[in-house]
Amino acid sequence: MPASPQGSPPSLSTPRPHIEVEGLELYYGSVPAVRGVNFNVMPGEQLTLLGPSGCGKTTTLRAVAGLEQPTAGEIRIDGLPVFSSARKINVRAEKRGLSMVFQSYAIWPHMTVFDNVAYGLQVRKVGGPEIKDKVDRALEMVQMREFGGRRASQLSGGQQQRVALARAFVFQPSVLLFDEPLSNLDAKLRADMRIELRDLQHRLGITSLYVTHDLEEALAMSDRIVVMRDGLVEQTGTPDEIYSLPHSEFVADFIGSANLIRGHHRPDLDCDGLTALETATGQLIYGMAYGRKAGPEMTVSVRTVHLRISQERPAGERNVWPVKIEKTVFQGDFSQIHLYWGDQRLVARCAAMEPIAAGRDVYMAVEPRRVVLLSPGNR
Amino acid sequence: MAELRHGNLTRRRMLKAGTGAIALPFLGIAAPNLLAQGVSKSPTNVLDFTTNADVAKAEQEGQLVFYCHENEAGTAGIMEGFNKDFPKIKTSYVRAQTGALYNKILSERAAGRFDVDVIQLSDIAPAFDFRRKGGYEHYVSPESSAYKKDHLSEPNGYFFWTGVDPAGIAYNSEKVAVSDAPKGWKDILDPRWKGKISCKISASGLQFVQWYTLRKIYGDGYWKEFAKLQPRAFDSRVQLFDRLSKGDDMITAIGEYPAYFLFKSKGAKVEFVAPPDGLVSTPLVVGAVSRAPHPEASKLFVDWAMSKRGQAWYQSNPNLYYGSVRTDAPAMPTGVKLSDFKLLYPSDWDEYASQSATFLKEWNSMLGL
Amino acid sequence: MGSWFSAQKVAGYGVAAIAAVLVLYPVYFLLQAAFDVGDPQIRPPTAYGLDNFSSLLQYPQIMLNTLMVSLAATVMALMFGSLMAWILTRTNVPGRRLFEQLMAVPYYLTPLLGALAWSLLGQPESGFINGIWRAFGGEGHLIDINTPYGIAWVMALFEGSVAFVMIAALMKSMDPSLEEASQVIGASRIRTIMQITLPLVTPGILGAAIFVFAEMLGSFAVALVLGLPTRYYVITTAIYQMIQQYPPKIQVAAAMGASLFAVMWAMLYAYRRVVISGSYVTITGKAFRPRLLDVGRLRYVLLSICLLYLFVAVILPLGTLFFASLQKIAVVFPTAENFTLDNFRTAMAMNAVRSALSNSLLLAFGTATIGIVLMGLLAWLIYRSRLPGSGLIEYIVMFPQAVPRLVFAFGLMWAWVVFPIPIYATLWLLLIAYLTVFLPLGVRTIAGVILQIDKSLEECAQMCGASWAFRARTVTIPLLRPGLVAAWLLLFIASVRELGASILLMGPHSKVITPSIVESWFGTSSELTAALALIQTLVVALAIIVLVVVTRRVGALSVD
Repeated sequence: MPASPQGSPPSLSTPRPHIEVEGLELYYGSVPAVRGVNFNVMPGEQLTLLGPSGCGKTTTLRAVAGLEQPTAGEIRIDGLPVFSSARKINVRAEKRGLSMVFQSYAIWPHMTVFDNVAYGLQVRKVGGPEIKDKVDRALEMVQMREFGGRRASQLSGGQQQRVALARAFVFQPSVLLFDEPLSNLDAKLRADMRIELRDLQHRLGITSLYVTHDLEEALAMSDRIVVMRDGLVEQTGTPDEIYSLPHSEFVADFIGSANLIRGHHRPDLDCDGLTALETATGQLIYGMAYGRKAGPEMTVSVRTVHLRISQERPAGERNVWPVKIEKTVFQGDFSQIHLYWGDQRLVARCAAMEPIAAGRDVYMAVEPRRVVLLSPGNR
Repeated sequence: MAELRHGNLTRRRMLKAGTGAIALPFLGIAAPNLLAQGVSKSPTNVLDFTTNADVAKAEQEGQLVFYCHENEAGTAGIMEGFNKDFPKIKTSYVRAQTGALYNKILSERAAGRFDVDVIQLSDIAPAFDFRRKGGYEHYVSPESSAYKKDHLSEPNGYFFWTGVDPAGIAYNSEKVAVSDAPKGWKDILDPRWKGKISCKISASGLQFVQWYTLRKIYGDGYWKEFAKLQPRAFDSRVQLFDRLSKGDDMITAIGEYPAYFLFKSKGAKVEFVAPPDGLVSTPLVVGAVSRAPHPEASKLFVDWAMSKRGQAWYQSNPNLYYGSVRTDAPAMPTGVKLSDFKLLYPSDWDEYASQSATFLKEWNSMLGL
Repeated sequence: MGSWFSAQKVAGYGVAAIAAVLVLYPVYFLLQAAFDVGDPQIRPPTAYGLDNFSSLLQYPQIMLNTLMVSLAATVMALMFGSLMAWILTRTNVPGRRLFEQLMAVPYYLTPLLGALAWSLLGQPESGFINGIWRAFGGEGHLIDINTPYGIAWVMALFEGSVAFVMIAALMKSMDPSLEEASQVIGASRIRTIMQITLPLVTPGILGAAIFVFAEMLGSFAVALVLGLPTRYYVITTAIYQMIQQYPPKIQVAAAMGASLFAVMWAMLYAYRRVVISGSYVTITGKAFRPRLLDVGRLRYVLLSICLLYLFVAVILPLGTLFFASLQKIAVVFPTAENFTLDNFRTAMAMNAVRSALSNSLLLAFGTATIGIVLMGLLAWLIYRSRLPGSGLIEYIVMFPQAVPRLVFAFGLMWAWVVFPIPIYATLWLLLIAYLTVFLPLGVRTIAGVILQIDKSLEECAQMCGASWAFRARTVTIPLLRPGLVAAWLLLFIASVRELGASILLMGPHSKVITPSIVESWFGTSSELTAALALIQTLVVALAIIVLVVVTRRVGALSVD
């Protein structure tokens, strides 16, 4: 497989984005699906559009593919506009040089596995022996070589998925689009395929745009993630940034479990670069702003895994409180502890330990750097 | 006659003029030119009749399009007879009840379509109307001499009576005893026929004649009484006798002699009554149509139909059995001659034609239409 | 590099424009006549007004008759259809598959043949059934087919197959887990049917009801054969009588036809209300394997219901016609000398019929073939393309369904008689007429096929870089083929059995078979007509068998 895919010229300086989406809007009649979305995908990068159903992520992907016609905005591939409302450009999907893996796999039932995979090559008028060679290699890569003669109806879900994948990359497209490709697989297979897909993407070096609503999938597979909500981009960043430093309550809540704590700013108590927050019941908590501006009313996010529970009072002054256990739920690798912090209920996740009886008084602590100040106004 | 000879040119011109021109009535173009036409050629003998048509040309035209009121089998029969004598002329036809047929030809002509060569109608009223509208080609057949003036258009050369369809009363002899059978036209008003008597629909020319003549004799009340019987109306005489012979109707108020003869020969239990006042009769009128696509064939057909040969065919075909009004007509296959019957015609055809709207309205409302 | 105006769009709008012309051009002429209050002989009209519509008030009985017969026939058709659909899709009755195939036979036999046969069977005096009844000592008559219910019965049997097809599809597409969920919760079988099954299928059945009702409103042949003897007129037969006379009451007839638009629109509106308020999205195009109910010994009862249905709708009518066609004058207990082969001899010799039969087959072939392309493109345009305005196109395309074909034929006649290309009175006119009046049928059928195919199968080919034409050839059409073949056959049969439009539009050189049989019924004996109907059935059956075999073979070849 070629290291550098077609269409993305190798460049040593800061490379130009492979896909650029600018001010994308898409309305179905008067119903907005996408309300102004901007992002870039760099060459060889895997970018994931993440969000709950109905957030516009699939519509955005289909707009990039050319399967939906946006209402406004511009989409460029390799710097060339494939859609531009201002310039009245709308390149048809088949002319954009992209490829796509569909949620339903879309394996053509009237063709064999081999024919399915060979289709894109036939479209490109590749010669017979070369087709055979390339299809075999592609099927090899997805471990489906011996199934070439089968019909699609004789394949399991996971096998169909592999065929769909082989079919998508066999003709060396410059960009691969994935529309929730793993959502129809069972949990175990999904986890395996996640790794395989990531591996394959690295080997092929193809720029990919991936859509999913599954957080773990996004975190595991992406170079960068764009979190979407209601047709808008909520936050863009690396998986780590998205996970550790959520911008908004929505991201904090959607990306793994987080405790959201509201209160008002006590600038008088700020010290050591930490921001102090006082809750309605008078509890004081120190957190970090990470460059975000603190308003008078604030919300901070604390991941459940970052709350530490102990029987004895831990050393340190800040961010240590006595709390009461409500209940403990054993979840295998970890336990989920529900507790009362004043009259607010919080959740903590701890590595498996002795269950603590309900009603016990214990201590809770959190490092101030784990208390992330959310941007004001982003609810 | 220039317009006729160059029919295509005229048609094209009509079409070019667009819908506005199409709306014009199709004009009596033929009327002033007839003299030149009929006389210019000397009559020729073909088979055993005389014609002014150019037979070679007619055969070259190779086609005859016939619009006819007669039922499918009868219409096909007429064409079969002509085609037998002139096998080089292919025939085709459209059949519909007179009203529908006349309506069809008028719409076509109004739109500038001239596809018909000859038309046969079972009612003289639309024939008058068609003549007024210039629909008939004027062509005086050399065979006209064998016809009385009454049986030709006035002036001669537009249409003629190709036959007469006389109707009396017919009944099912299994359902009705001879003693109970009606003897005259008044007897069909007996309430015991209620719901068991049939007649024809208003599109029938014969029905119009019957309505007109019996009203003349018995007055307006006659049909009012008739309406109380809730008669059932049908399109063709065959349907009437089909039902009669199976007992679905006991009696028909308008039993056509040709149909009676046809069914009797099939073994149907039907009887015919000739009322003393006479058999109501409608002329079946044939005429060549102006601006015909096959003008010579159309004239040849008129001559053939008028000839002894054609008349014999009309008179003896089981689906036709028309009574011939040719002065030298032979007897019908039953042995009777048309002249043996007392026939009941409207005495004044113009007055008759003027009553058309009244008849339609009355008849339709009687039938619930 | 990109194009705002793709070839696909141009093709789409081109086809839409053709459909719009096909439908709207004649509709314009029809409406023109309905509002024409000037001299009927002069076109275009000299005066416009509403007089024609107000004169409709003179015919309350006809309107009432029409509604009554259509309603009765719709109810019967839905009852037969639902019962048969339930038996054949939901129970383990023996021979389900065969019966499901056979359910299409009455539709193919045509309402005209059904009416002719049942007329022979059920006339109060001469009807065979009543003859047998009297022979066994009965008094008077057992059945009278010349009544509204008799007419509705025959209409339901021979026009109502569509109800079965629609309801059976509905029952197949219902996810059985919806019912299972109810039973698991502990609801009884009856309760499940009442509270789950019925509410779920209601919108679908309503949709079928409206479609069937429209068919019944426009039905012509049955009321013509069975209604006229007792002067029981419905709108279509009344219109036919009105235009049969001279001067014809064309304007009133047109107004009568146009008034049916209003009825149909009111019904469509009501339907949409029901469907929208219910918003039943659970019934998808996806086919589930329905859970079959084991009905135990009851299956033989159900089997006999199926057999009975086929007996009254297929075997009895065909047998009756055959029996009648062998007689000089058809009676139930004929004597030896009453038997004859003359009817068949005469029928075979009738030139008009011979040419009509071959014309019909030719036309049906043309209509089905051109129709598949035109209607396929339209269905794709309306349900898949998302081109702006496709909703409007759907309305236009569905319009002919709201008008009886007999009425629509007026518009067609006037529209094409003034058309500068001389197609009037030719087979081309009939072809155009068929393509127009069968637009709703064809588009609906093909849309059903298209919607069953996952959209991403096409999109995926597009993402592989295939052009529109290439993916149509390699993906769309191969996937659609079985459905398209079925739609082709449906259009073929619909064309052969067409009566309402053809009867007005036939020319001397363009006769077709069904109206020729009607004319034969008017003008020759019922025995000869029976022979003609049988010959037609036989020839068309042979043609269909040949076509099915050929398409199977071609299909098999292209797949391998």
